[in-house]
Amino acid sequence: MEDLTSYPNTAHGKSHAVPEPSDEELLGRFADGDAAAARLLTGRLGPRSYSVALRMLGNQAEAEDVTQEAMMRLWKMAPDWVPGQAQLSTWLYRVTLNLCVDLRRKKRPDALENVAEPEDGAASVVDRMQDAARKDALQAALEQLPDRQRQAVVLRHIEELSNPEIAGIMDISVEAVESLTARGKRSLTAILAGRRDELGYEHG
Amino acid sequence: MNWGTNMADQDKQLDQLFAQAREARDVFPDDLAVRIEIDAEAVRLARSARTSRRTWRQRIGVIGGWHGLGGLVAASAAGVWIGFSAPTFLPDPVDYFVSQEATYLMADLNLDENYLEDAE
Repeated sequence: MEDLTSYPNTAHGKSHAVPEPSDEELLGRFADGDAAAARLLTGRLGPRSYSVALRMLGNQAEAEDVTQEAMMRLWKMAPDWVPGQAQLSTWLYRVTLNLCVDLRRKKRPDALENVAEPEDGAASVVDRMQDAARKDALQAALEQLPDRQRQAVVLRHIEELSNPEIAGIMDISVEAVESLTARGKRSLTAILAGRRDELGYEHG
Repeated sequence: MNWGTNMADQDKQLDQLFAQAREARDVFPDDLAVRIEIDAEAVRLARSARTSRRTWRQRIGVIGGWHGLGGLVAASAAGVWIGFSAPTFLPDPVDYFVSQEATYLMADLNLDENYLEDAE
């Protein structure tokens, strides 16, 4: 199975002639006082936490706050990390998702407030509104899914994680992950099909 | 983009939306990266300071903890004070050493009146 846990090195196809330190090694270096290790970990793990938080919350400012808090917890727990107990990315995804759930429980309901601003241009107001709605169609549909389905779909189809890793993050079986993603996709399809006229898609 | 009416088309179109979402995945705000690195540095410095304090506590523990350190400081201060301001009933150690030194030096010179007279 493809290893998707060492992002961005493998995901971006870099040469492996000189093996780069793993996330866990970098965390150990940070715990020993190496400031440069923190910079590397921020570059590797920050975007992953932020991407998931943004899809779970649909709000950039909240996603930034969640990512900052998740990374803060990472820095604080660094000396206590036991190598080999789990993937560091698994731990970070789990913390990020839990923070998102906590935040949504506090702030619900305002999930659809974050519609992207249309850019200036020659297009008509109606065209720009439809364009913005299309861009946000997936996000709006995702936000109508139950939390667990949305988590599974985002991790599988946007973060491109393997089912076993998602199972580890969500603390469920691989079969449960498959079930959640299948139901999530069916729900998304139904939601998007229901919005066809609203989005200006032509029939046929 | 037409939203398909059969399942296969709809699945394909949903996959296209996922692909578009993945393209935006690597966008990471620079100011967020800076905030995270500042947090990391703060945690690192705080941990370093705690480690330093722990090292001093361990050293102090070797001599009996804070009470031991306090006793050591008091004893040292008393010793300095006694050295410079000895009680009257004790011989002055400074005078003792100076007088001994002086006596020894004078005896060692072996001066006598004849020597002084010869010099004149």
